[in-house]
Amino acid sequence: MTNYVIALILGVGFGFSLNKAGLTKYSKIVNVFRFTDLAVLKFMMTALVVAMIGLYVFRGLGWITFPSVPATYIVGNLIGGLIFGVGMALTGY
Amino acid sequence: MNWFKTQISKEIWSPYAAGILLGVLGLLAVLLSNSLLGASGAFESLAGLIGKKIAPSLFSNVYWGVEGGRGLPIMRPEITWPVILLVGIFFGGMLGALTSKSFKIRFNDDAQWKKIFGPQPWKRWVIAFLGAIILEYAAGIAGGCTSGLAISGGMLLVPAAFLFIAGMFASGIVTALIVYRRRY
Repeated sequence: MTNYVIALILGVGFGFSLNKAGLTKYSKIVNVFRFTDLAVLKFMMTALVVAMIGLYVFRGLGWITFPSVPATYIVGNLIGGLIFGVGMALTGY
Repeated sequence: MNWFKTQISKEIWSPYAAGILLGVLGLLAVLLSNSLLGASGAFESLAGLIGKKIAPSLFSNVYWGVEGGRGLPIMRPEITWPVILLVGIFFGGMLGALTSKSFKIRFNDDAQWKKIFGPQPWKRWVIAFLGAIILEYAAGIAGGCTSGLAISGGMLLVPAAFLFIAGMFASGIVTALIVYRRRY
């Protein structure tokens, strides 16, 4: 139950950050592929770096163990990404 | 306090500020629940949950699990952690729009979209529907979407995440080129 409350709160924060970054707009998403507005990249990479530093420090301190990570299967990940990009540029989601 | 209020009521933050918020949330997800912030998996779990109710034999497969079969399904057809997260995302987005007073029911509101595809809302809906099928199908193949694989996997330095990002940008740029042509 607690786990679900955490999920709900984190979800609200997630949606809030997406909205404030403007990523709920079609033009923001599609313009990163046109190199006219790099907000998506800035947002993604900042989140990546912040979480990455925290995760590796916390693991070093022994506070967390990494959850089961997404599997790497080169062809699947790459083809999935290639198809995903088409949908993303079309819809702006 | 006033500064805080001004920031909350802004419609668009610096992407760096919003990114820091998401990074902290991604960290908290691992710290508090040992989970990753994935969104696309929730739709698959829900699809499996509904599918198993109306057509159990059709949905009895490796992906959603076989009744009494061995091994865990790839996507559990239950109300999983990501499903609750997805509910939260919906209300979080709404909260963001309400705080900046930009909340509005829209059918086709994006000026740039209208310039490229025309003003008719049905076009937006059809392309959104077909595009979303492409997105969810691709996320199923790759093992995650932008949040669950690219960001959550990337912060754990999983190679899959970077392969996915590379693929996503390569085809995204090409698709945008085709759609926009001379207006690119």
